[in-house]
Amino acid sequence: MSKAKQLLIIDDDVDYVDGIKAILTRAGYEVAAAYNPKSGMELLKSKPWDLFLLDVMMGRGAEGIMMARQIGKDPKLRETPLLIITGIREQIAFLFPGEPVHPHFVANDELMEKPVDPKLLLERVAALLKASEAKKAKAK
Amino acid sequence: MGNERYKILLIDDEEVVLDSCARMLRGGNHEVVSIMDGAQGVELAHQFHPDLVIVDLKMPGISGLEVLERIHAFDPTIVSIMLTGFATVGSAVDAMKRGACDFLPKPIAPDEFRMVVSRALERRRLILETQALRREKEMLREQFAAIVSHELKSPLGAIQQNLFVLAEELSDKLDESQRQRLERMKVRVTDLMKMIQTWLRLISADIGKIRDNFHPVAIKEVIAKAIESVQNEATRKNIEVLAEGADTPRRVNGDEGTLVQALVNLLNNAIKYSRSASEIQVRVTEDGDKVALAVADSGVGIAADELPHVFEDFYRAPSSAKGEQGAGLGLPLSRRIVEAHDGTISVSSEPGKGSTFTIRLPALKTS
Repeated sequence: MSKAKQLLIIDDDVDYVDGIKAILTRAGYEVAAAYNPKSGMELLKSKPWDLFLLDVMMGRGAEGIMMARQIGKDPKLRETPLLIITGIREQIAFLFPGEPVHPHFVANDELMEKPVDPKLLLERVAALLKASEAKKAKAK
Repeated sequence: MGNERYKILLIDDEEVVLDSCARMLRGGNHEVVSIMDGAQGVELAHQFHPDLVIVDLKMPGISGLEVLERIHAFDPTIVSIMLTGFATVGSAVDAMKRGACDFLPKPIAPDEFRMVVSRALERRRLILETQALRREKEMLREQFAAIVSHELKSPLGAIQQNLFVLAEELSDKLDESQRQRLERMKVRVTDLMKMIQTWLRLISADIGKIRDNFHPVAIKEVIAKAIESVQNEATRKNIEVLAEGADTPRRVNGDEGTLVQALVNLLNNAIKYSRSASEIQVRVTEDGDKVALAVADSGVGIAADELPHVFEDFYRAPSSAKGEQGAGLGLPLSRRIVEAHDGTISVSSEPGKGSTFTIRLPALKTS
């Protein structure tokens, strides 16, 4: 690995983030974290990232989803792979009735349910990074 | 009856009756308003918000029965007494059918009048008390949901995630016994989390709200998604989930996410109470403008005396206590979801042979 991949986790639970961060750091990634949507958005735009991990059930529910949508609409941010991590899939159905729930409520993004299995998380992250690199190489 | 002050509305076309009723009510500390016309009486009821309406059955213009009907249409909690000039059993029965809680034959005997009024007001008091209690219960329910959600779920989620991470990080450092205990901790915490999530869904979800977003939903999709969601669990128990008639073109007006959840709950139950290597059938049938989704298992079944309770909140069948865990909320949640869709849910069962749960939903017309 030439330069460590830069990952950003956005989740409002510090302890939860620490767990995820530990797995990713041990796997050789460089991981930063934001604990609320506001600082998440700032950090998101502050420098180029290789991948975002986003909890869509932050706070009272809607903020994480709004954020995912914002990322999806931004032509620059959209290029970065987004791994969505969610508390309860079905709960989303109650908070946002009528919206498509599973699996791609934000087009082209990956979704994982909490608690994430460490091995599976690493697999997903690696796959997303690989796909994104391939896309970039093709664009060049 | 105590000293509560009630509002009483008298409606009769005979002034002498109104006067004598008003006189009999004097000293009762109530606010009494009288009017001589039915239609105006209904109008007045809207502004006056009476606790009790005393109305004459036979009046020119609209009848007493109609007055009652209209008043109850805007507030069914208002209690009422029907005055009948010719006390036939028929007219009394009619009045009671339209929601009158009592009737009085004319001429009115003062003692009887006061007794009947006092009884009606006592009934009104109970209705108001019940309403207040219900509101209080709703508030407690919401508060409890907030507590469960914020104070329990988040920390437990963090604990759960870190257990998963630790198990992975320590995988080559733990001996077999330590590893097994850690695995059991994961299972226990995960069960606890599931239970909290089910509570949350049941308690916090204002299921009525889903109606705001109803749109045509394909039954086919609901079934496919529900089966997909329980497939792992079924495979683990070597249970086959078979679908029959599931490629139906019928659609219902509803919310897909919650309908899937309603069916998933039935399927989970079927899997839970089925023996391994058995079959579960999902059958779709059409019955006029209704579409029925039945989930049939050949599991342990439900005793006849437990059947009426299975859709109640927190009910856990005594016979299910052995070995099977659950918060007893899946079925009530399914019931609420189905009812929000103007549907019904029912169950039939034979102990030892299996159970069939059926969801019936009003289907959209096929175009």
